[in-house]
Amino acid sequence: MKTTRLYLANDTSSLAAGAGRLAEVWSKRPEIQLIRTSSRGAFFLEPMVERDGPNGREAWFNVAPDDVSRILEGVGGTPVATIPFLRQQTRFTFANFGVTEPLALDEYQKRGGLKGLAAAQNLSPEAIVEELRLSGLRGRGGAAFPVWKKWQVAQQAQSEQKYVVANADEGDAGTYCDRMIMEGDPFRLIEGMMICARAIGATKGYLYCRYEYPAAAKAMQFAIQKAREADLLDCDDDSFDLEVVVGAGSYVCGEETALLESLEGRRGVVMAKPPYPAESGLYDKPTIVSNVLTFATIPNILANGGAWHGSLGTEGSRGTMALQLGGRVKQPGLVEIPFGMTLRQALEQFGGGMAPGARFKAVQVGGPLGSLFPESQLDIPICYDAFAKAGAILGHGGIVVYDDETNMVELARHFMAFTADESCGKCTPCRVGSVRGREILERIQSGLGTEADLVLLSDLGETMKSASLCALGGRAPYPVLTAIEHFPNEFRGRLKV
Amino acid sequence: MTTRHNAKLAEALESCRPVSPAKPNILKMLLAIQSALGHVPVNTLPQIAQTLGVTEAQVAGVLSYYSDLRTQLPGRHLIRVCMGESCMANHGGRVFRAIQDHVQVAVGEATPENRFTVETMSCAGNCAVSPTVMIDEDLRGRVTPSDVPSLLGPYK
Repeated sequence: MKTTRLYLANDTSSLAAGAGRLAEVWSKRPEIQLIRTSSRGAFFLEPMVERDGPNGREAWFNVAPDDVSRILEGVGGTPVATIPFLRQQTRFTFANFGVTEPLALDEYQKRGGLKGLAAAQNLSPEAIVEELRLSGLRGRGGAAFPVWKKWQVAQQAQSEQKYVVANADEGDAGTYCDRMIMEGDPFRLIEGMMICARAIGATKGYLYCRYEYPAAAKAMQFAIQKAREADLLDCDDDSFDLEVVVGAGSYVCGEETALLESLEGRRGVVMAKPPYPAESGLYDKPTIVSNVLTFATIPNILANGGAWHGSLGTEGSRGTMALQLGGRVKQPGLVEIPFGMTLRQALEQFGGGMAPGARFKAVQVGGPLGSLFPESQLDIPICYDAFAKAGAILGHGGIVVYDDETNMVELARHFMAFTADESCGKCTPCRVGSVRGREILERIQSGLGTEADLVLLSDLGETMKSASLCALGGRAPYPVLTAIEHFPNEFRGRLKV
Repeated sequence: MTTRHNAKLAEALESCRPVSPAKPNILKMLLAIQSALGHVPVNTLPQIAQTLGVTEAQVAGVLSYYSDLRTQLPGRHLIRVCMGESCMANHGGRVFRAIQDHVQVAVGEATPENRFTVETMSCAGNCAVSPTVMIDEDLRGRVTPSDVPSLLGPYK
């Protein structure tokens, strides 16, 4: 019997969209050879099914089990290369997505995997750091700190033990690119971590994965096992030991000092810096803590050279950014593009405008601590400097669009309640400020607020911004205050007359 | 306490006995016990503290800090409704209310016949296919309020 090879994503969001049901039904059909790949990240098209065509893969969108006959007949497919959402992207870190089987090490290698590590092995640790300096890579987790500076500190620190830690506590609501990397291209993350280990002289690594990502943790464990069996974790004479550790649902554990506390098994409480983890981190040893996306960006930098990466994007924001579109856009999904495009362009070109029947109200960039932008401010370029100048953050690249049914007072209350729930309690501005902020917003919501409450909220926000120990308290006022700034009537309309 | 319960507890305790006395990992221990027993019974705190060589207060501190650690056994099926921003923007709040109307139980408590416990979660990383509801290990996306009865039906 002639069998047809069909490609279907095994990514968590693809499964949530219905890919699992297709796999279940089709696995009973002998004429189908089902290959489970990563997802291309065009989630609005999932479940998406592909097969090989004369000019590359062809795809069928939003597939139901009954669509199998036309897929097998080859009727109605769209060449993947012509899908605008994908064609207009610049995929480097996400180049393998939708193409390979996540745990097939040979496929990873065939598509250029491990070249970065090989290049790093031919360089001195100092030269690796120099390549990163040339690349202009800044940490992708939110803080946007130059990666080379951090690595240089850890490299120069004298210690018999150093650590590399991947921050996979992707807690910003609206972000999912780290989950995609761990589930979809795990060897890229391992390779990035190994390059770091070589650069700083670390022999032990941890991947701190959030509790909400069981599939990602499992994929990483499998990939580490495979890498170990293939002797990949042996680097020169040293072996690199890598372990997955699962957290237990604390947002603030995405902050590096809190993450290290949690990794040591304690309450994930933020610590004052200095000392920075690069000097004194896990078990007081020099430790590089970087986000998953940051590590996954590094293999290409070493393979193609720092100058290659430094030629992409804008001054101050080099390379590509993984934007994650969500909320009420028509086309939610992962978008990798060089820095510099405006927010409006990104929302129109990739987001495809609003979901059917929805009207734009505001967009939030950078997770639950990110500022809100009204329609009039969408022409801001997506890069670190422009966002910093506007008092906003790119954060981890989450972009959530709200429609005109969104109640801004309720949304603002939600943000403050989130911080009150997630505050680690270490510093007073965040611990007490977030609770008081939530109470004020609840008062306004119930119609008992006064003009003085708005003044108080603003004052409280400024205190939290300037006096909090970490970004949770320091950023928490931004979505609230930008909501009041751009939609004042919604708040004033609720005040007691 | 059944013998089986005690055996599982002993195994979890043993698996997290610190290799080095300087590095007792309380969180790892609590997760191991929760994985074995479905929750961390408060009466196990003395044993945990003793095995790790830390105080009961330190164990209790970690136990109360992390929202995914639980001291009560949930219902047979745990429903977690995502309250992340993308789910909120896509009116996940309506899904949450529909689920609450359907199972008629307060957040965090088990239904009378112990079938369901409903909780919220802050983000499942399923934002592009939101709103999201997680039932046990199954993640569902693009859930609407009218899906709720058929969604919960198979979980007996």
